[in-house]
Amino acid sequence: RASFGLYFPRKEYSENVYIDQPAGTPLLRIHALRDSHGEAAHFHLCQNLVISRARSHENHWFQIREKTGLLYLSRSIDREDFNMLSVGNWMTLSKVMLYVFLSSHPFQEKECDSATRTTVVLSLINATAPACSSLTARQLCFTEMDLSFHIKENKPPGTFHQLQLPSVHHLCQNLSISYKLLAAEGMPFRYNENTTGVSVTQRLDREERERYELIAKCTVREGFREMQVEVPFLVNVLDEDDSPPFLPNGTDTADAVVEFNRKEGTVLATLTVCDADTTPIYPLESSRKKYTGTIITDDPWINETFRVEHIFDEIHFSPNGSQVRGTQHEYKLVLNKSISVTEHRSFQLDVLVNDTEFHGPERSVMLHFNVSILPVSIQFPNTTYQFTVNRNAERFAQIGKICIENCMKFRGVNITYKLLSPNISCYPVSILQGREDKYGSLYVNDSSVLRRPECKEIQYTIQATDKQSRKHTKTLLTIVLEGSLLKKEEDCPDSCAVSKRYAECEECGGLGVLTGRCQWRQGNGKGITTNYSTCTPSIKTCPDGTCDVVESKDPAVCPQDCTSGNIIGGHGKGTGNLGIKSGHGICYCFPKQNCYCEKDDIKEQLCDDVCKTVI
Amino acid sequence: LAAPPSPPGQDPQGWRAPVDCVRANELCAAEPSCSSRYRTLRQCLAGRDRNTMLANKECQAALEVLQESPLYDCRCKRGMKKELQCLQIYWSIHLGLTEGEEFYEASPYEPVTSRLSDIFRLASIFSGMDPATNSKSNHCLDAAKACNLNDNCKRLRSGYISTCSKEISATEHCSRRKCHKALRQFFDRVPSEYTYRLLFCSCKDQACAERRRQTIVPSCSYEDKHKPNCLELRNVCRADHLCRSRLADFHANCQASFQSLTSCPADNYQACLGSYAGLIGFDMTPNYVDASTTSITISPWCSCKGSGNLEEECEKFLRDFTENPCLRNAIQAFGNGTDVNLTP
Repeated sequence: RASFGLYFPRKEYSENVYIDQPAGTPLLRIHALRDSHGEAAHFHLCQNLVISRARSHENHWFQIREKTGLLYLSRSIDREDFNMLSVGNWMTLSKVMLYVFLSSHPFQEKECDSATRTTVVLSLINATAPACSSLTARQLCFTEMDLSFHIKENKPPGTFHQLQLPSVHHLCQNLSISYKLLAAEGMPFRYNENTTGVSVTQRLDREERERYELIAKCTVREGFREMQVEVPFLVNVLDEDDSPPFLPNGTDTADAVVEFNRKEGTVLATLTVCDADTTPIYPLESSRKKYTGTIITDDPWINETFRVEHIFDEIHFSPNGSQVRGTQHEYKLVLNKSISVTEHRSFQLDVLVNDTEFHGPERSVMLHFNVSILPVSIQFPNTTYQFTVNRNAERFAQIGKICIENCMKFRGVNITYKLLSPNISCYPVSILQGREDKYGSLYVNDSSVLRRPECKEIQYTIQATDKQSRKHTKTLLTIVLEGSLLKKEEDCPDSCAVSKRYAECEECGGLGVLTGRCQWRQGNGKGITTNYSTCTPSIKTCPDGTCDVVESKDPAVCPQDCTSGNIIGGHGKGTGNLGIKSGHGICYCFPKQNCYCEKDDIKEQLCDDVCKTVI
Repeated sequence: LAAPPSPPGQDPQGWRAPVDCVRANELCAAEPSCSSRYRTLRQCLAGRDRNTMLANKECQAALEVLQESPLYDCRCKRGMKKELQCLQIYWSIHLGLTEGEEFYEASPYEPVTSRLSDIFRLASIFSGMDPATNSKSNHCLDAAKACNLNDNCKRLRSGYISTCSKEISATEHCSRRKCHKALRQFFDRVPSEYTYRLLFCSCKDQACAERRRQTIVPSCSYEDKHKPNCLELRNVCRADHLCRSRLADFHANCQASFQSLTSCPADNYQACLGSYAGLIGFDMTPNYVDASTTSITISPWCSCKGSGNLEEECEKFLRDFTENPCLRNAIQAFGNGTDVNLTP
C-alpha cells in the first residue's frame, strides 16, 4: 500500500493581522493528520513571505511552534513594516502568503521544498487591532474562509481542526465564546469542549460515504447579551485505490463480427468493467496508465489489426443511502486497419484489464471477444439492369444508380464502377462516382445520341471492382430509348433554375431534365423553409440538400444544391456553404451568378443576416 | 451620484499607475544593467520552479535588481495596441515567480476605474432610451435594435453572427476558432454601452431570456460535443497568455467578497462585468446555462464530473461562475440600471 505520510486536512488557512499587534500574539492553529500510528507531526515555516504581485520578502515577523502548529507573531508589524510589505499591492487589502511544511521528523535544515505544505494567507489590515466590542459575532467566531476539510480514507483517527480562533481568544479574553458541533447521530466526529478541537474518531471509507455535512455553532456571551452564529462544517473524504475491478452482471464475453463494415476505426464490441474507486479524467493520460487494457496474443496479425480503446466515466452508486462516486471503464475492440473482403477467420481475443494501483490479489480482469471475420462477396444482384430513357432527356439527366449487393452497408470497402463501352456507335450514357460514394450514378453524357433514330436499345457491360483485392464482377445493362421527340421551345434558358414561375418552368427544358421539361416544385411552407418553391430538372434529385457528383459537373444543372455564390433574400445556406438549404418564397438562380429568394406576390424589403436575427 | 472620474494615471486609492509592460521593456532595454538582468532572469525562469530559482545566487541577484525596475510592476491595458506582446512580457516574469498552480492569479490588467453609472449616462445619450423606465419592453430586443442603429456595432455584430452560424461540413457545423475571433473583435472594438446591453439585458419572459442566452451564438462559441472537466479547461486556458490573463482578471474583479456591500471587490460592478465580457471568445467562454427569467446561472462549458480527489477544488472554481453573488449582483444591477451610490 502506498504511503501518503502526514498531510494537512486543508489547503489554505487565513487570518487578519493588524498594525502594532504585540509580539507573541497567536494567529492561528494548523493541524496535521497521520498516515500511520506513532507518527508525530513537525511544522516548519518557509523563510520567505510571498507578497502578492510576485514579490517576496524575508520573513521577520511570523513563527510557528514546531510541535503544536501554532502560528504567532514573533515581532510586531509597525507602520514602516506595513508600508514595505504592501508595496506593489493594488488592492486596498494587502495580503502576504506563507508556506507551512510538514515532516514526521524534527526539521534539520530550514528547507523549503517538501511536497507536503499548506498555504497561510494573512491579510494585513491598515489599522490597529479593533476593539472586541466592534466585532460582529461572525467575526468573533469564524474566519471568512469556509470550514471545509479533507480527510483521507483508511487512515488513523486524529484531531484536524480547532474551532476557537487563537487571535480572537487572545484579544478578547473578557468575552465568553463557546462552540458546538451539530452532527447527525453516528457521525464519526467528536468535538472536545476543553480544547475546542474537532477530531475524526475512526478510519473513514470513501466507498461508504464521501461527504459529511455538519454545522458549527458558536455562542458569544457578553454580560446578559447572547449572540449565536451557525456555519456549515464540511468534510470530504479523499479516495485511494482500495477496490478491485469487477464485472457488472458478470459479463466478460462479447461477440465481435466483421462483415460489411471493415473500416479502420470501427468499434466491433464493448465490454464494461466497474470500480468503486474514482478515476480523475484530468490529467487523462495518467489515469489511462493506471488502468490498462492489453490484448494478450502472440499473433502479430492480431496485434496489427486490432486495438483496444479505453474510455471511462464517473458513475454513482448508493451503498447506504448516500451517493458515492465510482468509475465505469469501457474497453472497445477497434479495427486498427481496414480488412480485406477476402479475409475469413474466427478466434477468441483476450484483453487483460489491470488496476495497477490496487494492491490486492484481484487487481486484474480478463475480457474475451469472440471475433468472427466473414468474407463478403462482390457481386451484382441476380437480375440485369434495365433503364428506360426518354429521347428528350438532356445532358446530365440522372437515369439511375448502379450498386452491388449490400453496397450501401459497406464501409472501408472501395468499389469502383465502370461501363465497358458497347461496340456500336450509340453511346449516350456514362457513369460517375463521388469520392465517398458506394454506388455509381448513371447519367446522360451525350444527348444528341438519344435523338438518333438508329439508337433504340443499347447494351452495356458494367464492371464493379474492389480496389484492395482487385476482385471484380460484371453484369449487363440495357438502355431502352423511348418517346417521340418534342419540338424545342425557343428562348429557353440552359438551366431550369432560372425560371421563377410555374408556367415558364414547365414549358422549357434545361440541363439535367429527364423528359425534356423542367419540373416545378410548389413549396407550401411559410417564412424561410426547406420546402421553398423552385424550378428543377428533376424533383427527385434537385434540390435535395446535397450537391451530388452529377450536379457538380455543371453549375447550370442544380444551382439550388451547388451554388457557392451570393443568395439574395431570406435564406439559409447548405452544408459546406453550398446551395440553398432553406429559402423564402421562390428561389431562382442564374448559374455562376447570384441566386434570389423572394415572395412572388408582395414586393417586400429583402431580409439579410442581421434582419433575420432580429425577430 | 457616482464618484467623479479620477485624474488619469491614478486609481482611487492614490497608487501611481505603473507603465505598461511594452514601455517598461523598452525602458529596460535602454539600460544595460537592467536588460542583462532581465535576460538572466528569463533564463532562470525557463523550465524551473520558483524554489530552485531562488536557490541560485545569480538568479536571486537578477531578481533583486529587477524589483526596482519598471518591469516589475508593469501592467497591460485591455484592448491596447500590442496587447499580446505586453502580456507575453508580463508572464515571462510572473509565470515563474508566482506559484504556477495558484488557484487565483493576479491580474496583469490595470484596474478599472470607470463605473456602471458612466455607462448609463452614455447609453441614454446614444440611444435616447432609458433602460430603467420602459418596464414592459423586451430589453434584449431593444439592445439589438440599438446595436443595429450604430454602424460599427451592427457591422461587427453581423460579422460574428454570420461567422458563427456558417456551416462548414456535415460533421463540423461551424468554425469555432473563427467564431471566437469574431466575438473577441466585437467585444474589444464596440463600446460597452452597446455590448453590455446585449449581454446583460434584464428579462421578464422566456423569449427575452432565450435571446440573451443566444447573444454569443452559443451553439458555436460555447457548446461542444464533449463537456470537459473544469480543471482541465482551466489548464487549457492557462496555456494561452491571453486566456490566462482574462481569467486572472475575472477572478480579480468578480471574486465574491464579504467585505463589501455588493459582494464585489471595491463595489465595482463595471470592473466585474468588463472582465466577464473579456472572457468571451476564449476557451473559458462563459454563458447563461438556460433561458430562465427568475434565476441567472452562468457557467463555462465544463463540469466537475470525473474530478477524483480534486472535486472540492473543481467545485470551488466552478462556483465562481455559477454561484457568484458579485457577478449576479452586477448583472442584475446593470439590468435594473442601478449602480452603487458612492460618496465622493
